Parts: sequence; C-alpha cells; structure tokens
Amino acid sequence: MAVQSPSLDDPRVLVDTPAAIVDAIPPYAPRSEREAEFYALGDGQMLLNIGPHHPATHGVLRIVLKIEGERIVDLDPVLGYLHRGVEKLAENADYHHSIAYTDPLEYVSSLFNELAPVMAFERLLDLRVPRRAEYLRVLSCELLRVSSHILFMGFMALDMGGLTPILYSFIERDEMVDMLAALTGQRMLFNYMRIGGVNGDLNHEFLSRLGDWMSRAGRQAEAISTLLNENEIFVKRTRGLGAISRGQALNLGLTGPNLRACGVPFDVRRAHPYSVYPELDFDVVTADEGDTYARYLVRVEEIKQSIRIIDQVLHEMPDGPVMARIPRRITPPPGRAWAAIESPRGQYGCYAMSDGTDQPYRFRIHDPSFVNLQALVPILPGCLIADTMAVNASLDPIMGGVDK
Amino acid sequence: MLAGPVRQRHDQTEIRIAAGDVVDVLRTLHDDPAFRFEVLADVAGVDMGDSMQVVYHLWSETTPDWLRVIAVDLSRDDPRVPSATFLWKGAEWMEREAYDMFGIIFEGNRDLRRIYMPPDYTSFPLRKDFFLADDAARSPGQGVRHMEQVHPPADSEAPIRRARGR
Repeated sequence: MAVQSPSLDDPRVLVDTPAAIVDAIPPYAPRSEREAEFYALGDGQMLLNIGPHHPATHGVLRIVLKIEGERIVDLDPVLGYLHRGVEKLAENADYHHSIAYTDPLEYVSSLFNELAPVMAFERLLDLRVPRRAEYLRVLSCELLRVSSHILFMGFMALDMGGLTPILYSFIERDEMVDMLAALTGQRMLFNYMRIGGVNGDLNHEFLSRLGDWMSRAGRQAEAISTLLNENEIFVKRTRGLGAISRGQALNLGLTGPNLRACGVPFDVRRAHPYSVYPELDFDVVTADEGDTYARYLVRVEEIKQSIRIIDQVLHEMPDGPVMARIPRRITPPPGRAWAAIESPRGQYGCYAMSDGTDQPYRFRIHDPSFVNLQALVPILPGCLIADTMAVNASLDPIMGGVDK
Repeated sequence: MLAGPVRQRHDQTEIRIAAGDVVDVLRTLHDDPAFRFEVLADVAGVDMGDSMQVVYHLWSETTPDWLRVIAVDLSRDDPRVPSATFLWKGAEWMEREAYDMFGIIFEGNRDLRRIYMPPDYTSFPLRKDFFLADDAARSPGQGVRHMEQVHPPADSEAPIRRARGR
C-alpha cells in the first residue's frame, strides 16, 4: 500500500516547516566553531536571508544576517555561486590559453585580470616587453579604471535607491567599451594583453574616439558627482557609516581605494612600481575618515588622476613594436613568479609556477574583491539592514572575481 | 630555521621554512621594526605531487622586493600548518579557500569550512590527483573520469603530475 503523503491543506505541514528558518539554517551539523556560534540564535534574534539573487549584491552573493529588530548583530556571507574553477582549468591549458580564462573573472575590468597573469608569465620567461607595449597597457588599463570607477558611482547610488546616476554612468561606460573595442576588437572580454606585449597597435578609429573623449574627459563623472557629492540623502546615508580604522584595515588585508580611504597610501603602482608607472606623474589619493562616504570620494578623485595618466601616456608614447618575438609554444624554465598590479578594486595578484612543460603547474589568482568583501563581517554589526547595501556597494566587490 | 636556500629573482625574494616555524617567522616579519611586513598580499596552497606547500606573499615599505615565504614539506595525507589569522584577520578567507581546494588544515582558524564548493562535497579539486572529467590535453583516449574520483584507478596510464625542478 502506498504511503499517504501529507496534504498541503494540513495546517501541521506548514507549522513543521516555517520557511524562513528552513531556508537560513543549514541542514547539517556546524562545520566550524564560528558557524556553530553564528547559527545559534539568542533571545529576540532572527535570521534574514539576502540573496543570492538580489539586484544590489553585485553578482550572486548570499548574505545571512542575524538581526535583532532593525539592527544587524552578525552576518555570514555565503560564496561560491559563480565558482568556475578557473585555476584548475588554467593548469590544464597552455600559457596563452589560460589568459583567456581569466577574462570573465572580474568582468567590469577585464584588462587587469589579463595583465597580472601575463606579467607573471613574462617573469617566468625572463621576457622584456617593448616600451610601446607597456605604454599601451597603461593606457588601456587606465581607461578601464575610469570606466570602472564611473560605474561604481552609478551602482552605489542605485543600491541606495537613486536611479539617475547609473544612466549617466552607462553613457560613459558605453563610450569606453566602444573605444576599447576599436583598440582590442572586443567590447568586454578583450583578450588584449599577450605574453610579450599587446594584441594590436593604436588605430585611427580608437585615436579619434579617444581624442573626442579626452576633450570632455571627466565631464560625465563631474555630472554624477554633482548629483551625489552634496546630495543630502546620499551624504546622510553614507557619512560615518561602516568606518574602518587604519590598523583594522591593514589587519583585514584591505587594498585599493578601500584601504586608501582609511589613510594608508598603499597603491601598488607606487608602493611596488611595475610597467612604466615610475615615469608617470600622479598622486595617490587618500582620505582619513575610512567611512562609506570617504571610500566614494577616493574613487571620484582617482578618476581625475587616471585622466592625468592617460594624458601623459598619449604625449610620451614611443614608437616601436608592440610584441616581443616569442615562440608560439611557450615552455618557461621551472620556477615561480608573482606579479601584482593595482586594479580598480585593489591589489590584483597572480602567482604562477612552471615545471618546464607548456602548461602552468600552479596558477593562482588573488582577487582584491575577495579580501575586501571580508570586511563586511566586522563592520556591519550595529548598522541597520538597509545599510548592508550601502556598505557593500562602497566596498565595490565584483562577484565574478570573488568566486573565480 | 630556514628549510632551503634563499632565492632572489626579478623583484622577489623567496625563503623556505618548516610548517612548525610559520608562527614565529610571520610574527617576527610583521612586528620587528626592521622588517614591518604589514601587508599580507596572498596565501596560496600548492600541491607538489608528493608533498604540499603553503605560500605567503608579503609586502613591506622597507624593501623594494616582494617577500615569498614558503612553508614546505607538508604531508599530503594530513597537511597541517598554523593559521596566520592571529596577525591578519584577512587571511581567514584565503585559508578557507586553500582548505577548500587542497584540504590543508590551518590550525587556529576559527572558521575553517568550505568557501566555494558545496558543504556536502568530498574532494579537493586543485590537488594533482583530481582529474578533470574530460581532460583531453593530459589523457587522450582515457575516457571520462568521474568528477569526484580522487585517486586514479590502479591501471590508469595518467600519472599524477609532480613538480619538477625547484
């Protein structure tokens, strides 16, 4: 005789499985000390699940909040929804091939994802890159940094309910990707950095678009900052929120604008110069407050510095080849190399090990968003639920990079 | 205290230490006013084929080089190394990742659970005896292996890839 399944009309079925509890509490024994502590609820506390599909989580991030009324007591970010195993794939592909895998990691600033592994491979090979290629790398990267920061401004406002700035952001972003498409041949996943140089030289379409853009560079960013910088709602919701001290930021391993907003002038372009950055003149922007508003202002200021860099690069670009002469099949001698660059989100690193074959033995990507996102756990407790979005937006994580 | 030669190449200096010395070495590098390695740039696990390693990259304003500290010769069956979270709380997730991918146990990390893979997952994907399901490059004609099969079958013709050279 078939077992009678419980009827959905039976009120006990719903009582036995209250949806909120079942969704949030994992159906297995706690795996670590911290997990046991987090999922043990105190008096008057409840769990609130945000995500993984939520417009304000910059990808697919799930955050379990432990709340008491409107106040956050603790939280547990859950990652892995975008994990593609790029490191494993790269270990099974050859050196040229693995660069293409890194493109979709941090999809807002793909060129930086390519640059770090390419630099690591060049160090394995003891390869010198032509100077014109170095200038082209800096030029394209700084353009993308401007685009990424402008997009950040729009998304930050959007996460807090302001719809207008994101429209201005995308005008600029569209212009940028079209410009870079003229240079690289692709709109988003450029695959422009190659071992030994770059894929293509400057061309007429790119230069004319760039010339147009330079004549009004920063005007779009200016328009957005006019909307936000002294906007009463924006400032009240961000100033003093989620403040991080200098020591705490170093302890948490923050890098990029998030660290510089806490008063630490750590910028890999200056702290550990690479490419042609030692010859270029720009300032490392810092702020002292370390709060959400400071993190926003540091990025706005960095847009201006990037435009300064682009201007210098265009004036000083030397002639010459854009690719070193390298064989198609690359077999670096056994060794280890580490390369770190300053991406819009912080220190982006790549650690490569060669065993003498044409495939990397170990290929490790260190993404700044991954480390920066950790800061949510110590800084959010005490804030309101709605502040989760503002603080998360100000840390500017891209989940494609976090989940690899 | 060093477990191997100090190497310098490009802008990187490399030192090798035993797993037991990690706490002392990192604490000295971080606290000693002569070193001041304040930024922990990366924590990575490495499977050498017959042993495991944990690789730390550090930055200090006192030197133009990146410092690479390698904790060598972790047993492959039970890799254990002290956690760096007592100095950098930010190491917590990077250690969780190394645990998730290699099964390296970081003693002292309060939150050592899987970070990317689902909780009921049993393998460590970045280990060298974990083969891709359709690994045409490494084993042509070997057919499709089951994703979670950790050890290759006894008659497998595809040996584990081991680190050669250094």
